[in-house]
Amino acid sequence: MTQFPTATDAGLTGCIRCCAVSSATDTHCTRCGAVLHPVSANSLQRVWAWWAAGLICYLPANLSPMLKTRTLGETQENTILGGVFELVGHHNYGVALIVFVASIVIPVAKFLAIAYLALAVGGPERAGGHRHLHLYEAVEFIGRWSMIDVFVVAILSSLVQLGFAASIHPGPAAVSFALSVAFTMLSAQSFDARLIWRGSEQDTV
Amino acid sequence: MSDPIEPAELVTSPARSPMQSRLSLIWLVPLLALAVTLGVAWRSYSDRGALVEIDFADATGIKPGETPLKFREVEVGKVEKVGFSDDLKSVRVSVRIDKDIAPFVDEDAQFWLVRPQVSAQGISRLDTVLSGIFIEGFWDNQQNGSATLYKGLDKAPIAPDLSKGKWIELLAPDGGGLAEGAPVIYRGLAVGRLRNLRLNEGGAGVIVDAFIDKPYDARISSNTRFWDTSGISVSLGPSGANLDVRSLASLVQGGIEFETFATGGAPIENGHGFRLFESADKARQSIFGNDLENPARFVLLFDDAIKGIELGTKVMFRGIEAGEVTEISVRVETDSVGNPAPKQQVAIALAPVKLGLDSETGPEVVAEFLANEVELGLRARIAAAGILGTTRVIELTDVENLPPAKMNLDRKPFPSIPTAPVDESALASSAEGVFNRIQALPIEELMNSAIRTMDAISDVASDEQTRAIPAELKELLAGLRTMTDELNAQGAAAKTGEALDLVSSAAQSVLTEIEGLGDMLKSADDAAQAVAAMPLGDIGKQIDGLLGDIRTMLGSKDAERLPRALSDTLEESAALLAELRAGGAADKLNGTLEAAQSAATAVSGATDRLPELTRKLETLVSRAEQLVSAYGERSSFNNEIVSTIRELRNATSAFGSLARMIERNPRAFILGR
Repeated sequence: MTQFPTATDAGLTGCIRCCAVSSATDTHCTRCGAVLHPVSANSLQRVWAWWAAGLICYLPANLSPMLKTRTLGETQENTILGGVFELVGHHNYGVALIVFVASIVIPVAKFLAIAYLALAVGGPERAGGHRHLHLYEAVEFIGRWSMIDVFVVAILSSLVQLGFAASIHPGPAAVSFALSVAFTMLSAQSFDARLIWRGSEQDTV
Repeated sequence: MSDPIEPAELVTSPARSPMQSRLSLIWLVPLLALAVTLGVAWRSYSDRGALVEIDFADATGIKPGETPLKFREVEVGKVEKVGFSDDLKSVRVSVRIDKDIAPFVDEDAQFWLVRPQVSAQGISRLDTVLSGIFIEGFWDNQQNGSATLYKGLDKAPIAPDLSKGKWIELLAPDGGGLAEGAPVIYRGLAVGRLRNLRLNEGGAGVIVDAFIDKPYDARISSNTRFWDTSGISVSLGPSGANLDVRSLASLVQGGIEFETFATGGAPIENGHGFRLFESADKARQSIFGNDLENPARFVLLFDDAIKGIELGTKVMFRGIEAGEVTEISVRVETDSVGNPAPKQQVAIALAPVKLGLDSETGPEVVAEFLANEVELGLRARIAAAGILGTTRVIELTDVENLPPAKMNLDRKPFPSIPTAPVDESALASSAEGVFNRIQALPIEELMNSAIRTMDAISDVASDEQTRAIPAELKELLAGLRTMTDELNAQGAAAKTGEALDLVSSAAQSVLTEIEGLGDMLKSADDAAQAVAAMPLGDIGKQIDGLLGDIRTMLGSKDAERLPRALSDTLEESAALLAELRAGGAADKLNGTLEAAQSAATAVSGATDRLPELTRKLETLVSRAEQLVSAYGERSSFNNEIVSTIRELRNATSAFGSLARMIERNPRAFILGR
């Protein structure tokens, strides 16, 4: 079935820490002594669990207000998407694009990418293993940048506290969004990249 | 060859991990997240409170999701949606009210918009310029019933909490000087505010709401009267000019004041209507009371000039004040021949209660009542009133000997009452006529005659022949001494006494006639002139004889009667003066106190000549003294003469003091005091 031999096929397992190759029977890395995890489809469960938690948190993050802006007694509350539309209304297309990409496109793309990778494990698409690996690396790399929104809110609400004139407070969506990002990052980390190559069905051999 | 049997290769595979180990605990995380999210969602849903809809005329400044609803300045809800009512005539604002306060928002809840306001009272709600407008609501602490659709108020209610005072309606002829928020003043204290100045629905006048705060509202009864204290009032009265500025605040923004002049009023309910009078005096004097109902109005058409009739002139119904004149104009009517005839149109308002009708009687019933009376002879006419008859009133009274007339009930703007011509005799018999006659009294002539009389006497004294008398008397005295015994004095003395009696009684009878005073003086003047024309030579001779007689009568009682008779004459003169005082002239004058001024002026003009008169009297007396002194001193005749002259001087000084008194106080001469 396999088009190319895998480490598991060869009775070997790789250390996640130092990448030293040990025998599949070893429980500890012969070089760094770290615990060796056999490639297991069980890790997919963790991926899906974090993924689901992230998705659950992502919904209120978009539905409830992200920022509470009080200017001269006038309180304004904006959701993420509402803020994007408002920025567009003010013709700040650049900023609107950044916010839109960072807060909407990237998280959604991450959900889709992780789901795709997890589903593709063991599938015939394994042939595209290299592309999957690139995708995985991209998700891992870009995941941290999703926090940019939360950082903006955190910085604004600590800086803009001018009393009556203007003040900014984080809304409930900020927490949800931060959780959502954190959960998706955990989800991406839980994904064992080796599964891309090995496939999940090997588990049952 | 058979292969050696080898044990089957042991197929080993790791034991399948049990179900619970295959299901990672990590699944608890999404479950927990789901539970928390759902919990939060449920809570926000269940806590979101009730939705009510409020209709406003416009929604200036209302922003969905931002404009708050406030109750006692605390935010209790937010506008969720701004739409339109079904007929698109008003804006329907949906407000989400907090869950814990929503049950209290029942049917009696009131909502209004709070906006910044700049007025004479100052600037209010400036905060809403920055924070945006908000909806203010008020409701009590009772939970009774509920409603979802409310009608928003145009303006903030005069006082949302009715338990903190009382609100009343005031009807004013015009709204000048009244302003929103102007104070209601009671004895100098601001006890309430005016709100909601608006036109009366009937169009006549304006209505303004007043809210009187709690402890003071008890001062208002159905007898209370309200008046406008806006601005400055200047009045001229018997005590001089009077400038009244109530307060600076009321000068700027107007204000009203109230007072209960009469006791016995009933307590009032919220919304009780009162009339707003123009001034405190009008409030005190108005006969219309507080009735807000329009009084019955009528028009009168006069052919004659209506001089003296002005706005506010009283209308007397059979002698009782029943109304006032509200409008005066000229109207061209077509007479029976078809020619246009201008007439004076006077509109009057009548208080039904003064006609003997119920105070709530409608104008139609009053008109019917008057129409009935008109058929029985009731007419309107101009009459004189007041002590001098200079004030005019309109009289509704029965006039006889007039052709029958009817009221024109369909006349616009008001039914007309037929009029009667001015009652001339009533005007003539007024005090004005009396006054005119007093003015016509010949006081000046009287004084002139008195002066002429004195002049004539003076002429007599200065006559050559009179001067010759002392010389003759001297000779006579010498003869007299010798002839004393021979003379029979009785007859002469008695005659002299009788003559003086006659003179005094004649004077009495003449002078009691007041009307003929001038004539009397004229005749006195004539008499004096006759005296002047008398041949004094004869008198001298007569005195010759007389002196002889006197000598013999010196001891007699008749001689004593001479001075007494003279003093009697003076007493008669005093009595004459007293009679003058007590006479009809004084009576007539008494009734016309104020009008006597010009008569007094005439008297005063005449008294200017009194000093001259006195002077002449004095010269006369001094001459008589010279004359007498020529007779020598110490003679008993001389004594008699001297005492007579003393009497005469007393009389003169009495006259002088009278003259001075008249000079000082001419009125006393007329009034006798």
